Amino acid sequence: MLGACGPPQQASDSGTLIHVAEDVPVGLDYDGPAAAIPTSQTGVVNLMEPLLAYGRRSRADDGSVGLPDFGRIEGRLAESWHYDPERLTWTFELRRGVVGCSGNVFTADDVVYTFARAKAVAGAIPVGWFLASTASIEGFDASVFADPAARVLGDEVIKRDDYTVEIRQAAPNPLFLHVLTAFGLHVFDSRSALEHRSEDDPWSSRYVNNEVAPGFGPYCLERWTKNNEFVLSANENYYRGRPAVKRVVIKRIPQSANRFILGRMGDAGLVEKLTPREFGALREAPDVHVSGVTGNENLFVHMNFMTPPFDDTVVRRAVAHAIPYEAIAEGAYIGQARRWRGVVPSAYPDYFDGGIRYDYDPAEVRRLLAQAGYPGGVGLERFASAFELTYVAEKESVLGPIAVLVQSSMRQLGFPVTLNPVPLTQYGDRQLVKKDLPFALNDQEKPVIVDAGYAVSLFFVSPEAGGINNMVNYRNAEVDRLWARARNEIDPAVRTTLLADIQRRLLDDVVWLPVVEYRTQWAHAGRLTGLSWYPDNAPRFFDLALGAQ
Amino acid sequence: MILFVLRRLGLALLQLAGLIVAVFFLIRWLPADPVARFVGLNASPEAYASARASLGLDEPLWSQFAEFVGFGEPAGLLQGSLGESWVTGSPVAQEIRLVLPATLELISYSFVLAIVAGVGLGVLGALKPGGGVDKGTTAFGMFAGSQPEFAWGLILIYVFFYLLGIAPGPLGRLSPLTPMPEPITGLLTIDAVLRGDWRLLREALHFLMLPVLTLAIIVAGPIIKLTRDSMGRVLATDYIMYAHAAGLPRRVLAANALRAALAPSMTMMGILYSFMLGGAVLVESVFSLGGLGQYAVRSILAFDYPAIQGVVLVIAAISLAVYLLLDVLHAVLDPRIV
Repeated sequence: MLGACGPPQQASDSGTLIHVAEDVPVGLDYDGPAAAIPTSQTGVVNLMEPLLAYGRRSRADDGSVGLPDFGRIEGRLAESWHYDPERLTWTFELRRGVVGCSGNVFTADDVVYTFARAKAVAGAIPVGWFLASTASIEGFDASVFADPAARVLGDEVIKRDDYTVEIRQAAPNPLFLHVLTAFGLHVFDSRSALEHRSEDDPWSSRYVNNEVAPGFGPYCLERWTKNNEFVLSANENYYRGRPAVKRVVIKRIPQSANRFILGRMGDAGLVEKLTPREFGALREAPDVHVSGVTGNENLFVHMNFMTPPFDDTVVRRAVAHAIPYEAIAEGAYIGQARRWRGVVPSAYPDYFDGGIRYDYDPAEVRRLLAQAGYPGGVGLERFASAFELTYVAEKESVLGPIAVLVQSSMRQLGFPVTLNPVPLTQYGDRQLVKKDLPFALNDQEKPVIVDAGYAVSLFFVSPEAGGINNMVNYRNAEVDRLWARARNEIDPAVRTTLLADIQRRLLDDVVWLPVVEYRTQWAHAGRLTGLSWYPDNAPRFFDLALGAQ
Repeated sequence: MILFVLRRLGLALLQLAGLIVAVFFLIRWLPADPVARFVGLNASPEAYASARASLGLDEPLWSQFAEFVGFGEPAGLLQGSLGESWVTGSPVAQEIRLVLPATLELISYSFVLAIVAGVGLGVLGALKPGGGVDKGTTAFGMFAGSQPEFAWGLILIYVFFYLLGIAPGPLGRLSPLTPMPEPITGLLTIDAVLRGDWRLLREALHFLMLPVLTLAIIVAGPIIKLTRDSMGRVLATDYIMYAHAAGLPRRVLAANALRAALAPSMTMMGILYSFMLGGAVLVESVFSLGGLGQYAVRSILAFDYPAIQGVVLVIAAISLAVYLLLDVLHAVLDPRIV
């Protein structure tokens, strides 16, 4: 067989882009079990279209990647919109002449169907309902889980005519327009979806999840073999113009070393999810470009307030001064990271820059440990299990070296740190459900809605005040009170002040210990242009163009 | 003989039933709740509870087991259903049907290559103990077995793809630009022959070249050693010594000895084939083949209970079928067993 002569290797040809990824979409229903998996989101955002999207602004720091302008929301399937504060109602004028891959023309029925489907919470993971609920759309509350009648869409979303839709809120909420940009409320081609419903599957969940998500996006699904490949071809009728890249072949290459080789050999047009070291090596390779952006990916140290000695703010501050920030940014991330000076991604509106509060400072660590009653770390050995530094084992190639740096630095200063890599599922269970992780490295929190207030409510508000994923069990009545005010505040200036106050308090209490914000990067052929970053980190192939070979 | 086969078949079914119970309850002792991963970390408590209910995890364990076996709705094992994957939402049986051929194709070609090379080299080594071939194959056997599969895979990729450029990259079973043909058997090489598509056959073989070589190198080691030792023992038996003294040519001696030496090796080879079914995962990962091993690992990491159960049962069923076949072959070769 060694002598067998195969066809020549074809890199991305003039119209086809080969994108090598960790995985291909595993499901396309954003209310389905695959919603939380990033590669599935890549499928959804290229097949479907939102009502609204963020405007674009100039290129990123190094000029290579386009960035969203979070202060400017543009119409996509909605052409214009206005708000009636008296009725808490938004009216959307919809775009005409939009044709999906099935040939169906977009109308108000598609928007109504999308919200009706979200409210039905028929999928395993009700992402659509969650987003609508976050935007305070009337009727999208917890009652849907208890009462089947509450799952039927009422007059909160109505069709005025074929191209006008009204959506009513239960309360004013500044997140409303932001929510409509997220992948979890992209609009369905309702006629296609309805054609595939059945008695036991009225919302066509099986069809959407396993066959295609019918929508009005820039690409149509050509073929899809789960665990193997996902092939898109351009939607020739796309209302924003025909995509420049005619065909995209997403290949599943699970090993980052193999993705690296394919990028290096020029066999792949676009490569994602390499280790920082591999991106560093590709940066030096001929005909390969590495582009990146400081978006919303970051690394922080998680310390649980319910686990002694992390219930003592002095100990938390001592830990903060024991972290080798410089070595992590320069050594582990090869310079592709910078100190994180807040608790919300710095690219998000209303991010509060708290400056460098903590730096590596052994003398300060000793002073703080003595103040906390553990001079030289004596006494901390009683909390050995609390100092098990947990991280996701699947991210060993990136987080492993960082964990070793942290362990080595902290042990020298008297902290009895040991390492505890666990599978992602176990990590998620302990973080989200049991909330019993004492000490961890976390690089995976990316608030899906681009707003500091949403991030605060998600991670730092107490469960009693509506907090969702307060993984470190932080409880601060003042933070809860400030959030209660900010939540429905529609005056942007007042809201910004309230959110800054909250974030300042979070930094004072070392609720999360921010370490670095690292760059989201892609390696790509030199002739591939137009890369843009979006908050879900999924590439939009419509933005791209392939130059001549 | 029929009674013997029926008895073995009954035993295999009993073993499978035991495995069904064991796998169902054992995976539920895994130290994590799988729901968190599926809902994602932005989810509300209501979404979490809804997801938990939709996966059936809010029901008592016995009730979940009854559903898995097929007493109730939806269909279960008794109706031929392995359930739906929690990660993809697709039927597990359908997913396994898609990934299993990649693994079967890989391990079958590797197995044939390893047996041809391993038995040949083992026989040559045994015929001239201490000779160059014997020393060389012993060293190879030890070296090949001491390196993990992924190391061989990466070395071969580096040499044949990166340096020499004669092998394709680790991109799967076909070039990304080649559409995956509608499966007949799912085995690409067989389907290509059935269709008379020689271009597809050439491409599939080209992409199989390095993964098959990788796995064959690993598997050939124990086969060489097994054949060498077994052959050595047979060559020292009285009847072979007598044949040798009677002046029979070496070729005839070797053929007679090999027939006797292979019988005890067969069981071992059967075990090796079954082991490869799940053990090819590293080779599948390195070459992005998307086979059963990779599917199993992904399912385990995601705590995707239906998929884990499905993979274990399919591997067990194939292994039991292979063992049953071996038992029958043994019985044919040596009727004393019956």
